[in-house]
Amino acid sequence: MTTESITMAGNKQTEEISREVMRIQAGVLAMVCAVLGGLLLFTMTVWLLLKDGPGAGPHLSLLGNYFIGYSVSWFGSILGLVYGALTGGIVGWVVGSIYNLVVGFRK
Amino acid sequence: MSSGALVIGAGPAGLTSAYELAKLGISSTIIEADEQVGGLSRTVSYKGYRFDIGGHRFFSKVPLINELWREMLSEDFLLRPRLSRIHYRGHFFDYPLKAANALAGLGPIEAFLVMLSYSKAKMFPSAEETNLEQWVSNRFGQRLYEIFFKTYTEKVWGIPCNEISADWAAQRIKNLSLKEAIRNALLGAGKSAEGEVITTLIEQFHYPRLGPGMMWDCCKDLLAEKGNETVHGIKVDKIRHRKGRVESVVGHRSNGERVEFDADHFISSMPLRRLIQSLDPLPPDEVLAAANSLRYRDYLTVVLMAKREDVFPDNWIYIHSPEVKMGRIQNYKNWSPEMVPDQSRSSLGLEYFLWQQDEEWTWSNDRLIDLGIKECAQIGLVEPDEIEDGTVVRMKKAYPVYDHNYNDRVDIIRNYLETLPNLQTIGRNGLHRYNNQDHSMLTGVYAARNVVGEKNDVWAVNTEQDYHEEVRSSETEKSSTGYTKTMGDRAVPMPIVQDEADQIIQTAFARLDGVALGVALGVVIGVGLFLATMILLLKGGEFVGPRLGLLRNFLPGYEVTWGGSLIGLAEGSLLGFGLGFFIASLRNWGMMAYAYLLRRRAETEAAKNVLD
Ligand SMILES: Cc1cc2nc3c(=O)[nH]c(=O)nc-3n(C[C@H](O)[C@H](O)[C@H](O)COP(=O)(O)OP(=O)(O)OC[C@H]3O[C@@H](n4cnc5c(N)ncnc54)[C@H](O)[C@@H]3O)c2cc1C
Repeated sequence: MTTESITMAGNKQTEEISREVMRIQAGVLAMVCAVLGGLLLFTMTVWLLLKDGPGAGPHLSLLGNYFIGYSVSWFGSILGLVYGALTGGIVGWVVGSIYNLVVGFRK
Repeated sequence: MSSGALVIGAGPAGLTSAYELAKLGISSTIIEADEQVGGLSRTVSYKGYRFDIGGHRFFSKVPLINELWREMLSEDFLLRPRLSRIHYRGHFFDYPLKAANALAGLGPIEAFLVMLSYSKAKMFPSAEETNLEQWVSNRFGQRLYEIFFKTYTEKVWGIPCNEISADWAAQRIKNLSLKEAIRNALLGAGKSAEGEVITTLIEQFHYPRLGPGMMWDCCKDLLAEKGNETVHGIKVDKIRHRKGRVESVVGHRSNGERVEFDADHFISSMPLRRLIQSLDPLPPDEVLAAANSLRYRDYLTVVLMAKREDVFPDNWIYIHSPEVKMGRIQNYKNWSPEMVPDQSRSSLGLEYFLWQQDEEWTWSNDRLIDLGIKECAQIGLVEPDEIEDGTVVRMKKAYPVYDHNYNDRVDIIRNYLETLPNLQTIGRNGLHRYNNQDHSMLTGVYAARNVVGEKNDVWAVNTEQDYHEEVRSSETEKSSTGYTKTMGDRAVPMPIVQDEADQIIQTAFARLDGVALGVALGVVIGVGLFLATMILLLKGGEFVGPRLGLLRNFLPGYEVTWGGSLIGLAEGSLLGFGLGFFIASLRNWGMMAYAYLLRRRAETEAAKNVLD
């Protein structure tokens, strides 16, 4: 089955209930991804600290290459919260916006 | 005699079409063979007792019809509780069927066998579902089918269930669109979008104070007030046509007097077979042969008057027990107390489904009354000495038969009738469709509107999902042409109006576009990987990105180099696209699976009412 034919089969069935194609509210997705991203990085950092103490998480610390100042430390966990939220927010917004753009274009 | 429109038959379909024509300012004459109006929905009177042909519940999901009923009868329209059970080999079972009650009544061994056969049907359903036996067995198992469906259905139709088209059953539940099933499930059992409770249609129904005939007598009077005459006692036996137009109909009174009526428009609710046979000149042989092979089941009711205040609490009981001939028994007093002249008495309607060729059809009334008394005693309902009087009503062509090829034959006839545009056929026997009053009436309304130029497809009533069932009255006000919209060259009732609940469902079940999500995730992952590689490269160092480079295990050819960043961009995009597409498909299929599950549940519930 080609991508197109799979999509067609799915479309036919969903159309019985709804003819609409979902639009994503980019702002809302950005917010959700920001919360998830921030919490994820914060929790991972804190978890490693609690489990292995200072010097833990050499691999996670490599994120410092992208997030200036980030390390697996208590201060790093706060920074991670901010960076995670920022990155999540941007990713969510970009995904939502591109999705809507493509949907609009395909219509 | 001449008039604007001529309507054949003063049953619900014919009278409703005349009523609608009157509203549209077109006068009509209604020709009725019988001395009474109402057709199959008449009420017969006998020594102060009133009874229906069967029992006529008034329930409809078509708001327009509910409005018409209220408009005609207003406060004489009672809301009655429904109770009906199945009598099978000495036991009473709840109807609609309830699993626990049915299994308890059958006893442990039979219940075990029923469960086995149910499981078998679920695991190995019959791949073919063309006849009623396969249709019901697939849903309930062979054993339950034999106990609760086979005997009764065969009594009604007089032919084996495997010769009855599955359409008959499917027609009863087909109106459950996926959307409706979801709406019912999400908004609470049986609530329509407006919050109207639909399930209660099963638990209670409307009924005119003096029986269904009261509605049609009233309709006749309303028509007469507007100058539209109903002429009784004339049986139409010729429909003269020339050059693609019907010019007149010829009928005979019982004394043989011939009467001819001409009109501009003709609307017929006489049985389709008879309509074709009456055409003058006759249609081509193929059409005539198709009409001649349409079959109808006939019906008679033996009404017994019992010297007892309460015989049983049900409105009616289905008699599945094979040892008696009767198929159903009505207790008219439980439909409306005014159906009996004296509250210390009850009247019971024993229903026999027959062919006119059957011996019983020709039996004298006394012999039939004796049979009824004997069978009532046999199943333990009333003792013979409690019966003080009885009468019999015979009704020909009560049920249009859905045998295997009826649909093809009806199609042939329908195509031919399209060559006579000023003749429309409507109603139950007129369309050879197992319609209740509401759908019969709706065809009458459509036909009347077609007279003023609309293009409604009367054949689509009670066949197409979503449309007429969900027509909202508010739509009626939206256009002068009523609540129809055009589809091709025909108008069909408007599909579901977007109300609040529908809007919520539309949004919640909106399709996630797989390509769009694929592109979005493709861009984010591809560009993300490209940027991640570039940042490391720009930072430099002795070993650049040894960990990120491990991604080559998944992305062939990827490495943390300038060239690798481009490979990462391409492969990351592809991976992202696939992931996005997969997520969207999974979510869409998940939502569909959920919707199908809800519909399956609702269908099983609806299938339990298939005997009605
Ligand atoms: C046993 C039984 C139970 C039912 N229960 C219900 C129920 O609970 N609820 C419900 O809504 N519906 C019920 N129905 C269905 C309902 O009776 C029909 O849908 C409805 O009466 C059909 O209306 P009609 O006008 O199409 O046809 P009919 O009622 O058949 O009326 C047709 C009329 O045309 C006349 N006619 C026929 N041929 C000619 C001719 N050649 N010349 C002149 N006049 C002619 C007939 O005399 C008759 O009066 C039941 C039907 C039966 C048989």
